[in-house]
Amino acid sequence: MIFNSLIFVVFFAIVLFLHAMPFSWRAKKINLLIASYIFYAAWNPPFVILLWLSTVVDWFAARGLAQADEPWKRRAWMMLSVVVSLGLLCYFKYGHFLIENFAHLASLAGFQYRPPQSSIVLPIGISFYTFATMSYTLDIYLRRAKPARSFLDYALFVTFFPHLVAGPIMRPTELVPQFEVPHKATADQLRFGLALMTLGLFEKAVLADGFLGPVVEQIYDGKAIPGFIDSWVATLAFSGQIFCDFAGYSIAAIGAALCLGFALSDNFRFPYAAVGFTDFWRRWHITLSAWLRDYVYIPLGGSRHGNVRTYFSLMATMLIGGLWHGASWTFVAWGGLHGLYLAIERMLRKQFSGYRPGRAAAAALGLLTFLLVNIAWVFFRAKTFHQAILILGGMFGRNTHAQPELAGVYLLTTTVIIGGLVLAHCSMRNQTLEAAIARAHPAALTALWTIMAFAVVIQHGESNGFIYFQF
Amino acid sequence: MASSISSSEEIVHDTRHAVPSGLRLTAADRPGMAQPVPERDIPQQPWRGMALAVTVLVLLLTSLWEWKMRTLELVPGDLGGSFDRWAELRRQVDKHNVPVVILGDSRILFDSDLDRATQLIGVRPLQLAIAGGSGLPVLEDIADDPHFHGLAIVGMAETAYFDLQLAGARPEKAIALSRWESPSKRGSFLIHRVLSHGLAMLDDDYKLSTLVFRLDHNWRPGASDRRNAIWKGEETGADGQTWLWRRLEHDRRLSEHMHNVWLHFFPSQPLDGQTISAVLVRTKVAVDKIRAHGGDVVFVRPSSAPDLRAIEDKHVPRARAWDAILAYAHSNGVHIDDLPAAQNLTLPEASHLSRACATVFTDAYLRNLAGKTPLLHLQPGAPPALSTRNCVRPSLGGLH
Repeated sequence: MIFNSLIFVVFFAIVLFLHAMPFSWRAKKINLLIASYIFYAAWNPPFVILLWLSTVVDWFAARGLAQADEPWKRRAWMMLSVVVSLGLLCYFKYGHFLIENFAHLASLAGFQYRPPQSSIVLPIGISFYTFATMSYTLDIYLRRAKPARSFLDYALFVTFFPHLVAGPIMRPTELVPQFEVPHKATADQLRFGLALMTLGLFEKAVLADGFLGPVVEQIYDGKAIPGFIDSWVATLAFSGQIFCDFAGYSIAAIGAALCLGFALSDNFRFPYAAVGFTDFWRRWHITLSAWLRDYVYIPLGGSRHGNVRTYFSLMATMLIGGLWHGASWTFVAWGGLHGLYLAIERMLRKQFSGYRPGRAAAAALGLLTFLLVNIAWVFFRAKTFHQAILILGGMFGRNTHAQPELAGVYLLTTTVIIGGLVLAHCSMRNQTLEAAIARAHPAALTALWTIMAFAVVIQHGESNGFIYFQF
Repeated sequence: MASSISSSEEIVHDTRHAVPSGLRLTAADRPGMAQPVPERDIPQQPWRGMALAVTVLVLLLTSLWEWKMRTLELVPGDLGGSFDRWAELRRQVDKHNVPVVILGDSRILFDSDLDRATQLIGVRPLQLAIAGGSGLPVLEDIADDPHFHGLAIVGMAETAYFDLQLAGARPEKAIALSRWESPSKRGSFLIHRVLSHGLAMLDDDYKLSTLVFRLDHNWRPGASDRRNAIWKGEETGADGQTWLWRRLEHDRRLSEHMHNVWLHFFPSQPLDGQTISAVLVRTKVAVDKIRAHGGDVVFVRPSSAPDLRAIEDKHVPRARAWDAILAYAHSNGVHIDDLPAAQNLTLPEASHLSRACATVFTDAYLRNLAGKTPLLHLQPGAPPALSTRNCVRPSLGGLH
């Protein structure tokens, strides 16, 4: 089920109704758990089994970890959790990719191996919930947390529908305590939650799907060689599309949880106002970058073992982060490019450690960051390296004989939306959305909320899946 | 000390003192530690009044929008070219004994009057034609379905039927959906159908972004012009009945726009012989399979205006396509050129018939086919034949 579908409206109304009933807290949690399984099964019922498997294995692994005294036993329980979680991920997400690459390597070595046609279906959101369950056992292994007392609370943490399929990637310490005590939204929490859901759906259905998606598809899924303007406009449109799609989902998820009285973590903090790449990754998909930092970068040594090890850890983390997004070398290239950006920034920061940019310099560095992020997006969106090179060629003015592709109205709408998005990010970069809302005039907020809700209503139509579901 | 997952124990990492005003810490600010329960403050605003005002305003604006859409002749209950609806119809073949199905492109889709067909042959054909789609993939799909033992009437605009690069993708997508549709998608469609009975505005061709994109008046010369796209061609009713959108019958601006789209849309370069041969072979295989199940296949070639027909004949000439397919598949059919009762019908936008003329055309082609296949009979008491006189012309005047 996706948030921008009619069936979700009915589903959510029923869930809210049941949550408001005078049932016991345990009954309400059972309701939420069943609702979450229905939410997941509505996409493809058999894959609920994977969710159960992931939940049960990590529950028992965590208990084993907590009871084990000897290091090797603790390590064995931790390994069981990691192997099962990563095994599921590897089979469903990377199985075909691994076999294809093996066949390619074999052919380079002179052996002809033709892999069987793959019919593996990628379970929706598997990368998100496996990371969530792994953080449970890893936190216990690293002695940062103790196991949950109740299986119901733990299962609900894994399955809670607002964050289940596309994050934010929650940690057990963030959510399980909330399930231990009764939670019910206040009237204002409910209204504010609905306002956040409106904002999220507006970003997703109107901006990402309605206005930006067709621009991106015409260039990235088309066959024409794009020129300078078309390449840049399509790539800028994608930068807006991916943000509105994913941040829109996160905001809607936070709003949905708030309507039930629960708090989810921030996942975005106006990333297109970032100055530098360290800053960007502290603002973009925060829960994933923090996960990778805590469970990959730091265990690999982080910045504690000298320069070489630091750069290695950085690059390895970003390459894994790239691969997490999809089983394709273009995603790895995207991660690698960001790793390179971060490494260069780190070197420059060391070289010019006393430098503090003024307003103009900060704005210029912010613009440079945004442009370099866009160049990296080319690898993220392009289906092949050939296509990525073709579009980059256009962006650097090499496709001089290209014919105009994008209609004038596409150029206009993309410019207005991306310009507005970047300006909004810049104006709010040092505050939260809530702080900005608190300072706004109620009449302006009412008008904005009305416009967004009305736009969602008249943009109706076939709902597209969220881009991040595939990850 | 380890932070506990349980709230009843100590929670560490309270670092709120480090946060500047208007900000809050995120996971990015807390490396290498258990993350605490997130904080979500509710901004101080009169939320009750705002929510009430938004509800009233959105209802008001939506009502005005609905009124505006109805003035544009959008009608409640029109599901457009919904693949979900098509998939639902297609699954009927697996569940019931369906005696007659209609396959093909928008011509046979808009130009077939299912009520008239029911009056003539005693059963209501299942309409499985897809606008912008070739009939071949659906014919193959039906041929592979052991449940089907009936008659397939395949409508053929040669360009759509033979040029699968142009018209193959939509049927494939629809077939895939008929084989697997997630409960979520199915549920959303059922709700959409209920809503669409009351709301005309739920039309995919008139959603916000589409309307904005249509404002482009060739603003960027040389680029693909969004106005040169199909705005809205079809109008669906209950039981799979689809017509040419009623407004196209009298709105000269819209019908001329569609006429121009067709003239630009149809390729005029001759289709290569290899592609035509491949389609002939695939068609024969499908026809043979259906006959092996006890069914049969007949073909129908609906009309198009002379200027469009000239382009179509250049791309796929009758002799290489229509005549060849009947001969190769040993099938019967009726071509508009050979159907005197359906000449000079009204084609408001050059490619599809007006409603009244669709009834006349349906009457003509079914009467003609009734003698050509054992699976199609005119029922006793069938109404008398119609003629061009029954095809009332709209005030616009058609493009003959």
